[in-house]
Amino acid sequence: MESTNFIWDLMGKNLWSVVAVISLPLIFVLIYALVAILAELKVSAWIQERLGPMRTGPWGILQPIAEVIKLLQKEDITPTAASKILFNLAPYVIFTGAYAAFAVIPFSEAYAPANINVGLFYIFAVGSFSAIGIVMGGWASNNKYSLMGAMRSVSQVISYEIPAAVAVLAVVVLTSSMNMMEISRMQEGGFWNWYIFGGPGGWTKIFMIPFTLTLAIIYFIASLAETNRLPFDIPEGESELVAGFHTEYSGMKFAMFFFAEYANMFVVAAVVTTIFLGGWTSPFGSFLAGAGWGAFWFILKSMFVVFLQIWIRWTLPRFRVDQLMYIGWKVLLPISLVCFIAISFFSLLNLG
Amino acid sequence: MDLTTLAFFFFAALTLGFGAVVVLSRNIMHAAFSLLFTFFGVAGLYVLLHADFLAITQIMIYIGGILVLIIFGVMLTTRITGVDVKSGRTGKLQLGLTAALSVALAAVLVKIFLSTLWHIAPAADVDATAELIGNALLTKYLIAFEAASILLLVAIVGAAFIARKK
Amino acid sequence: MSSYLKNVWAGFYTAVKGMMITSRHMFKKSVTIQYPDEKFDLPANARNKLVLDMSRCNACTACAIACPVNCITVEGVRVSPEDPHQEVHADGKPRKVWVTRYEMDLAKCCFCGLCQAACPSDAIKHTQDFEYSAYNKESLYFKYQILTPEQSAEKVRLLAEFKEKEAAAKAAAAEKAATEGKPVAPKKAAPKADEASEQ
Ligand code: SF4
Ligand code: SF4
Repeated sequence: MESTNFIWDLMGKNLWSVVAVISLPLIFVLIYALVAILAELKVSAWIQERLGPMRTGPWGILQPIAEVIKLLQKEDITPTAASKILFNLAPYVIFTGAYAAFAVIPFSEAYAPANINVGLFYIFAVGSFSAIGIVMGGWASNNKYSLMGAMRSVSQVISYEIPAAVAVLAVVVLTSSMNMMEISRMQEGGFWNWYIFGGPGGWTKIFMIPFTLTLAIIYFIASLAETNRLPFDIPEGESELVAGFHTEYSGMKFAMFFFAEYANMFVVAAVVTTIFLGGWTSPFGSFLAGAGWGAFWFILKSMFVVFLQIWIRWTLPRFRVDQLMYIGWKVLLPISLVCFIAISFFSLLNLG
Repeated sequence: MDLTTLAFFFFAALTLGFGAVVVLSRNIMHAAFSLLFTFFGVAGLYVLLHADFLAITQIMIYIGGILVLIIFGVMLTTRITGVDVKSGRTGKLQLGLTAALSVALAAVLVKIFLSTLWHIAPAADVDATAELIGNALLTKYLIAFEAASILLLVAIVGAAFIARKK
Repeated sequence: MSSYLKNVWAGFYTAVKGMMITSRHMFKKSVTIQYPDEKFDLPANARNKLVLDMSRCNACTACAIACPVNCITVEGVRVSPEDPHQEVHADGKPRKVWVTRYEMDLAKCCFCGLCQAACPSDAIKHTQDFEYSAYNKESLYFKYQILTPEQSAEKVRLLAEFKEKEAAAKAAAAEKAATEGKPVAPKKAAPKADEASEQ
């Protein structure tokens, strides 16, 4: 098997290469977060027929940098009644959870920081760090709003993890692999081979298209809830809970929450890309395919999904808590189970 | 000392250190959050044993499921404004008794540890443990697996029943 | 069951429809005006900064009386006919009153436009200039002058002299009339300078 981590090979498999492999996604996250913050500002402005930031640099492209600098300058407050250790630990736990998931994301044919066999499962597992971090921050703040936000957030994450997992599981049934690199590779050869369109296979796969399409949508919706984005942002609903679990945070610790949210957005976008949109494969068969182009396609597709998340955020209002639970348990879960069973059935019949 | 050994000691220290916090901390919330690092350390130990699937299951089930449940339980059963939840002080007699029991237990464990002939098998370089575990579960250990799932189903039905019976 | 499915479909469909709507707006021209760089034209009757045309004002104090917040202070003195420095108003009429003091406190002004309406000679006007914020109130206190304080004092003195002369002449005339036994109706007293009203 050819290598899936060119940096590892390049630097000679020593401690330094470990450091390089670890820090590359970190640099990527930082740059990506700046781009995503700008995209959020700009897309929201365009949707509302505004211009968005225009004064910092040409067309305001330096705005996110200005915001980060502003956050860095702010006073770092720890409330007196807060539980100090947990309060200061929570942002790091959340960011660790978001960042750890980057370890298995296959950016290209030649680069996945760690190509492990249970990659998809791993992403779901480290996602629970964010949930714990949120509870930690919410409880340690010693603030009713924070605590309520944390409780809501966790119940939401737990509920929506199930339909998301079922959707992913359906693809795992089709690929019989949880290795994200492998799943990407199976979808090589053009966009009609992507799992959102039933995956590779003969003409009989058209029976599967409705189910995989539905699952892709379900996963996308559930991922919105898991990243606490609108319309599922009840944990931080401004109109009810001030700012939810991060009400008491300021300065750099708040920036950590901020970065973690955007990093999480990319992680779920990467999962959607990998399992439904063909990962790093080119949409035109062997045209524009290769390791470098792979990274290009992967980031392009992921950013498109991130854009979708932003688009939805500025379109839909927030759900009520009971509506949220209704959608999670009574809509997404049964439909995803039906699709899952149908896909298992098809794959038993070897239709796919 | 190579990297793996270092990592082993790191994870072992993490597990034991935070395990001690879990036991000794008077604040139940602190104890619950310390479990996070304990579980994480155990997952790290699994990784060092080449059991990747087991390690991730550990994180998924224990951190993502059980720990969240524990924290939720603690938060819901105390006043929500969260004055620190303390575990009560133990009396002298109980303290003495438990100390004696623990020492006895430790002695037995050490005795067993020393008298066992440890079989150090060369680490089998299994790459895909998930497949092996899956196959084993659905063939050799099918009955146990199904029994466990029925148990869980009963638990869910029971929980739903209790919750509905208001 | 069918109503459930219908509901689910409606939820999904409306979300997609909403996204279509927002996507349409995404490509519409933005309504933002980048203010200091671009400005939109104010309506012609917009009431902003007040500007006084001293060459028209004749210190009639109509504006000061009309102003509801008393932000205008006007004082004037009649032009002495013997003043060597005679002037013509912008509308071609000879100046009859020198404005010795005209002060406007725009920090108080509420832009009601009453002064503009009251002014008989179109001297005080609202302009389209609204960007005159300042860091201290003093810089919003506008003092208009066409005469230096010395000149104003001079004008006051000139008028007083003229009046004295006139009074003396009148007295002389009255004396003359008295001696001639012909009573003369006293002329209306010269109006006080700041109540001068011409037109
Ligand atoms: S606009 Fe109104 S408030 Fe302002 S100076 Fe004229 S009369 Fe006074
Ligand atoms: S109303 Fe006009 S002419 Fe009269 S004092 Fe005021 S500005 Fe001068």
